[in-house]
Amino acid sequence: MNRQAMVSEGLSHAVLPGLAIAFWISRDYNSPWLLIAAGASGLVMIWLTEAFQRTKLLDPDASLGIVFAGMFSLGVLFVSNFLKQTHFHADCIIEGNLAIASLDRFEIGGWDLGPKSWLVMLLILIVQILFVSVCYKELKATLFDPELASRFGLRPRLFQLLWLSIVSLTTVAAFNVAGSILIVALMIAPPAAAYLVTTRLHHLLLVSAIVGAVSAMIGFYASLFLDVAPTGTVASAAGFVFLLVLFCSPSNGFIVKQWGHWQRNRATLECLALQWIKDGSQDRFSFSRGRMRPFRKWQYILKRLNRQALIEQASGHYALTPAGHKKLAAKLAEFNAAH
Amino acid sequence: MLELLTDYTVQLVVLSSAVTGATSGALGCFAYLRRQSLVGDVISHSSILGIVGFFWLWFVLTGDGNKSLWLLIPGAMVASIAAMILTQWITNSTKIKADASLGVMLAIFFGTGLTLLRWIQRSSNPIPGQAGLEDYLFGMAAATTLSDFWMIGILTVVSSVCLFVCWYRLKLLTFDPGYAAGLGLSVGRWELLLLSLLVIGIVIGLQIAGVVLMVALLIAPASAARQWTNSLGKMILLAGLLGGGCAASGAFMSAVRKGLPTGPAIVVCLTLVVLVSVLFAPGRGVLSRRRTLVT
Repeated sequence: MNRQAMVSEGLSHAVLPGLAIAFWISRDYNSPWLLIAAGASGLVMIWLTEAFQRTKLLDPDASLGIVFAGMFSLGVLFVSNFLKQTHFHADCIIEGNLAIASLDRFEIGGWDLGPKSWLVMLLILIVQILFVSVCYKELKATLFDPELASRFGLRPRLFQLLWLSIVSLTTVAAFNVAGSILIVALMIAPPAAAYLVTTRLHHLLLVSAIVGAVSAMIGFYASLFLDVAPTGTVASAAGFVFLLVLFCSPSNGFIVKQWGHWQRNRATLECLALQWIKDGSQDRFSFSRGRMRPFRKWQYILKRLNRQALIEQASGHYALTPAGHKKLAAKLAEFNAAH
Repeated sequence: MLELLTDYTVQLVVLSSAVTGATSGALGCFAYLRRQSLVGDVISHSSILGIVGFFWLWFVLTGDGNKSLWLLIPGAMVASIAAMILTQWITNSTKIKADASLGVMLAIFFGTGLTLLRWIQRSSNPIPGQAGLEDYLFGMAAATTLSDFWMIGILTVVSSVCLFVCWYRLKLLTFDPGYAAGLGLSVGRWELLLLSLLVIGIVIGLQIAGVVLMVALLIAPASAARQWTNSLGKMILLAGLLGGGCAASGAFMSAVRKGLPTGPAIVVCLTLVVLVSVLFAPGRGVLSRRRTLVT
């Protein structure tokens, strides 16, 4: 919503160097250092991008692209050079290891509390819910009208930073599970799908969350079926859910809108046909005189009117039935009333 | 290490990377000046679907695994153009803004492309020659063959000829499309040309830089060159030089250290160049600004 969709893409790429260095130091997939280092790396990216943008020498999009590409490359080079012997290689960066992550369970006193990464994500979800509910008004104001917000003393700058940190945190925690492209897809496609359906912010949040969860489930089952890593399937599921909503949404969907257009168009043509039959200008429908194209469309309209008993054929000419007269009068009255 | 340069393969790799980097860098100037950096990013991510898709289609049709650029570059182009058309359509006909629709494109095209790639790699009867397909993610210049070099060469020649012939109109369109429209230039058609140049600039570099990092090869030379000159012609030439030089050094590093993906090596070079340009360029750079402010 903040038109900063691409910042999350940048963040997801930029956390790699932090993760790589932390992993190199700790050699442990689940040490908290990974989260911290990746968060720091995300903040470095944001700082560098802002520094570049402040010089005003570079186009802002370009500076984002260069910074995250640079950081990501450093990360990949580091991984290729120093971490060659470990599991942490380039594939994992893109994909994460969702399947393995579920095996690493969190145990307290012998109680299996579920996979550790699931717990971490749940924790992050709780943090997010808390943040959003506590600071809802401030976030809303900052999002839609930062100047007004600052005049009210709401410190939009602070909230922007907080928001970016939460995005970084989510990116980083989810990275362990899902890799970088997936996060971007899940951060942008479900909200976009939600935005097609509603414009109220709390509905947006709820619908995005649901769409995200649904896409993840669909994608995961698809990945089991196809025997591939879940990352690609979940990302494409999110994208296809968006397309599904775009086309099939009952209120705003493309299909419904086109159907509405077509229905209105047809009603207009029917009205026109009724009027012409009443006027007696039959030859308008004749194709041989080259008057009315498309011929087949008019044939269809006339057949429809015939079926609805609004017109009848007598000795090669069309004429309006009483029902047809009534319908025409009603339609004209409607038109005059509306204009 | 330098004796490697006498090796034919390394020469081919370095030369074709240089040509690729130069073309991408030069064409990237237009993308940079028209604020299309992120469009370029998503386009390059989307092209993986075309690359993998065409590879797979060829296999289905002929039973061979063919990784030649003559097959894959058209695939990349098709996917990129499809992504762009879909993005434009979504932005124009719904409330979704441009960058969100770019993100959705990323999800659809890159997600599906990645799925297809993994599916090809895991399938029970492996397709011959699929092993190098994954290199299109991060780039591997060492895979360049002579026929690939011809493909790159042809694309370079075509785009250079385009640039020469349409120079003034392209310049006008980049800097003042309103005036161009007022002069009666059919802006739609020329925009299409500029878009095609962008797509060429992107797909040409996919083999050496990979889809994820291609945007840097496109934008960074232009950003660096911009700091040193105000003239479009000099900027394009300089960007070509910088792009070619960094691409060649990245490719060389990747040839020296086997298994090092080329894309990151090139991007690290480019990022250094950009940093140096931003800091030290006379007149515009950060340091020279400080000096003028003080005096």
